[in-house]
Amino acid sequence: MPVVRLYYEDLEQMVGASRDYVMNRIAMMGADIGKIATETYVDVEFFPDRPDLFSSEGVARALQGFLGIKTGLREYQMTFGNILVEVEDSVKDVRPIIGCAVVRGLEFSNEAIESLMNLQEDLHWGLGRNRRKVAIGVHDISRVKPPFRYLGADPEHKFVPLDFTSEMSMRDILKKHPKGIEFGHILADFKRYPLILDANNAVLSFPPIINGELTRVRDDTHDLFIDVTGTDPVVHKTLNIVVTSLAERGGIIESVHIKDDKSHFISPNLAPSKWTIRAEEANALIGFQLSSEELAECLSRMRFGVSVVGDKVEVQVPAYRADVMHSWDIFEDAAKGYGYDKLLAELPRTVTIGKPHPIEIKKAEIREIMSGLGYLETMPFTLTNEEIHFHKMKRRPIEVTRIMHPISELHNIIRISILPTLMEIFSLNQHHPLPQRIFALGEVVENGKTKINLAAASIHSAADFSEIRSVVDAILREMIVETSIKPSEDAAFMPGRGADLIAEGRNIGCFGELHPEVIRAFNLEQPIAALELRLGDLQGAWIA
Amino acid sequence: MLSENEANVLRAISEEHSDPQTIAKKLGVKVETVRASADVLSEKNLIRVLKHVDEIVILTEEGKEYAKRGLPERSLLESIGNGKPMAELKDPSLKISLGWLRKKGWAIITGGVIKPTGIAPRGTDEEVLEQLLDNSKSSSDLDPDGLTTLKNRSLVIIEKKKSWKYEITIQGMKLIPELGEITESIAHLTPQMIKFGEWKGNNVRFDGRLYSVRPYDVALEAEKIFPGKKHPYQRLIDKMREIMLEMGFIEIKGEIIQSSFWNFDALFQPQDHPARDMQDTFYLDSEAEIPNYAKIKEMHECGGDIGSTGWGGCWNPQIARQEVLRTHTTAVTIKYLADQPHPPIKAFAIDRVYRREAIDATHTPEFEQLEGVIMDKDVSFRHLLGVLQEFYAMMGFQEVRFRPGYFPYTEPSVEPEVFIEGLGWVELGGAGVFRKEVTAPFGIDHPVLAWGLGVSRVAMLKLGLKDLRELYQSDIEWLRKTPLSINI
Repeated sequence: MPVVRLYYEDLEQMVGASRDYVMNRIAMMGADIGKIATETYVDVEFFPDRPDLFSSEGVARALQGFLGIKTGLREYQMTFGNILVEVEDSVKDVRPIIGCAVVRGLEFSNEAIESLMNLQEDLHWGLGRNRRKVAIGVHDISRVKPPFRYLGADPEHKFVPLDFTSEMSMRDILKKHPKGIEFGHILADFKRYPLILDANNAVLSFPPIINGELTRVRDDTHDLFIDVTGTDPVVHKTLNIVVTSLAERGGIIESVHIKDDKSHFISPNLAPSKWTIRAEEANALIGFQLSSEELAECLSRMRFGVSVVGDKVEVQVPAYRADVMHSWDIFEDAAKGYGYDKLLAELPRTVTIGKPHPIEIKKAEIREIMSGLGYLETMPFTLTNEEIHFHKMKRRPIEVTRIMHPISELHNIIRISILPTLMEIFSLNQHHPLPQRIFALGEVVENGKTKINLAAASIHSAADFSEIRSVVDAILREMIVETSIKPSEDAAFMPGRGADLIAEGRNIGCFGELHPEVIRAFNLEQPIAALELRLGDLQGAWIA
Repeated sequence: MLSENEANVLRAISEEHSDPQTIAKKLGVKVETVRASADVLSEKNLIRVLKHVDEIVILTEEGKEYAKRGLPERSLLESIGNGKPMAELKDPSLKISLGWLRKKGWAIITGGVIKPTGIAPRGTDEEVLEQLLDNSKSSSDLDPDGLTTLKNRSLVIIEKKKSWKYEITIQGMKLIPELGEITESIAHLTPQMIKFGEWKGNNVRFDGRLYSVRPYDVALEAEKIFPGKKHPYQRLIDKMREIMLEMGFIEIKGEIIQSSFWNFDALFQPQDHPARDMQDTFYLDSEAEIPNYAKIKEMHECGGDIGSTGWGGCWNPQIARQEVLRTHTTAVTIKYLADQPHPPIKAFAIDRVYRREAIDATHTPEFEQLEGVIMDKDVSFRHLLGVLQEFYAMMGFQEVRFRPGYFPYTEPSVEPEVFIEGLGWVELGGAGVFRKEVTAPFGIDHPVLAWGLGVSRVAMLKLGLKDLRELYQSDIEWLRKTPLSINI
């Protein structure tokens, strides 16, 4: 989750409330206060559905409402400018959507610059899907000359990218510039690359990779040009979040004209979206009994514009909110505005009868049998690897469920047998007194289907076939299962000392003395007698 | 209680046999046995042991010779008659005898001739020598001067010898009549003794003999044994299952391998959502059949007919077919609800889920998750808070508070926190009401209250674990020693 660093002094100034008061209430607005806090700042995590809170300015705006200092819709003044951005057809296949704005009259403090940079990063992650969907460029507009052009350019086009001193082709930037290496994959399939040029063909930006060095934002920058490009209309939301955040720092938003051969629009569009809700629906979902006026009051604290019209509440959702998809999203905000800590918990009256799953009833019986036989339960991982599962067990590898991108080669398949994982547990417990008798009861995956197995093993100097045969007999007797026994071909057992269990013509398990090569493969030195039973599947096909 | 030997020795001492040798002879046992028994009796204050150290005088080989033949100076005196010139006594071996003759004043030397003085009384040394001829004697029975002389001439050596004498005490005397006829003390009873023995206190008369049953030091440590047991973690899981069952929930299960459809799409997770990345989810190189997806597609793309905006873009069934290891039990829950869309439903699952996380002390790629859902007419978010409060209270967390949360498929969402002594408020699980976008495509017309939590996190808190791996790669001693009755 995105972490926003809030400098107390900066925050107090922007919110108009003391730091203690703010910190006391901020979690109830929807935040996780992080572990990092100093005398001057605190790191707070906000949820990914609220990108408008990814900057300290956005947080301050929300807090003002939540704490009742300034409620209702925050309206932003926008001057209508005449800067033109022309979108050429050549970019439509690559990265068709663009939103732009100008923000003037900014005085950048250190906190403000840090906040803007972090906001950009978090938006690239949260809404931008790592720049694939949305990428943001921020420029010192005084260095370039409008009108601007957004086009698909020849990869051989050269300019000086940010943090470099000499010209590079766009193709080389993807190979050599750190940002090109990191994000170049987004453009891998395209023949032309997105580019924003000024009237003199100077490069502002090569979205979504890197800006030109020319428009670098410096201490003395006051007027910004912002471009947001991407593949989804969320581009415009992103732009709104950036420009309103800058406006909170005193910037004046100025619109631009964006035009292609078919259409023309003014960007940004800061008009709130309009929703009509009914108190009774909100009351039904949350479980409170608010009048339309009370509901409106709660929403006003969440900085929605509200007006009560008859039995309805008309809600204006700010243009920077990216999370409102459905009326329930507004109802949740009403609950936050009301205060989660003020909601009374109440048990529902739904009357139903509890019922354990039949498999769990069986598993409990088997645990009772195994405990009675002196076996300790273990719960090993179901993820394992072929080395342990087959090679160390002297078993021929067969088809198993394999993970495509394992995080470690130790865990790249799902077990089809539990016994190898018990062997691993013995390996880990060599320093403890013998005899050790352990069992595990749980899932295996066979041909893509979940099955339940039982495995048990006994290690000590006298562990032998007859010991485990007695255990198998006891388990099957208690479970009321009739089986016949025949010699096993399982190479995990010593030749002539392994057996298969057959019930109704089906192989339901095996037991015997493990082959010394298996024992040695797990770095063990004492005889091991073991069993494994296939109990059944989730559909209720059980051996008993 | 006395052993057979101890009883016999005590009896012998009471009959005025006072030294171990005599008692051993009488009882027909080894002297060491008598002494061991006597030590026990003495510890019990039944007898007193008197230790005595004797000096036994023993002749050396030279001494034995003289005892038989007389001292050499006596022999020399007899051989010189009335006098003998010294010149005839050149043999150097006579030098010592000559010395003693003169020292004892039995002879004098004048003018190169040795002459007896005529005074040669029998000395105490000679007496002692004679006394020792047949037997060694205690030094106290011999003339001290004679003994000293012999000792100085290395004709005798003195050996110290310990001896013991036993005297019965009053307590011992009192015990004598009680000793009766005990003949044997035993540790184990035979089945015959159990069946036929006649009991008198600690003694059993069986087959004409009386046996005493040896008492044990009951405080002595015994060998440690451990019962076969359920895993402590399983006990916690079962406790949670019992709570859910008591609260009226039905237990459900599902496949480990799920299609992305059930794991993500059915829960209205957009197909480009970061949680669906290869980074976080274990994908399999296989595809599953998926149900009719028209409504899901419509919901994702444009919000269906419930007044939602949807995610926009184009929903791709191919992505939905991709199989994964379930990342949450919600995949199982939503499938169950899709099959049973009519109220009321209260269902829960506790099962293993998989996340693409590297193993460390607080992360494992698989762990147990508990999830509960309630679907009914007229249930609300406040009811969800009520269920959470009740559930956590039954888990032993009396103090619960709620703060806003975010989960992709619930709205509203809440993060419950419980108060734990020493840790403060700890976030435990997540909850919310399933979004309409989730329920509507399956014809579920009533709110679905849902909550879930990572069971292994609760296990860490309840079992005081520092490392999650302990649950799955357990130390057998930990399993053995964690008490069944531990409060989980």
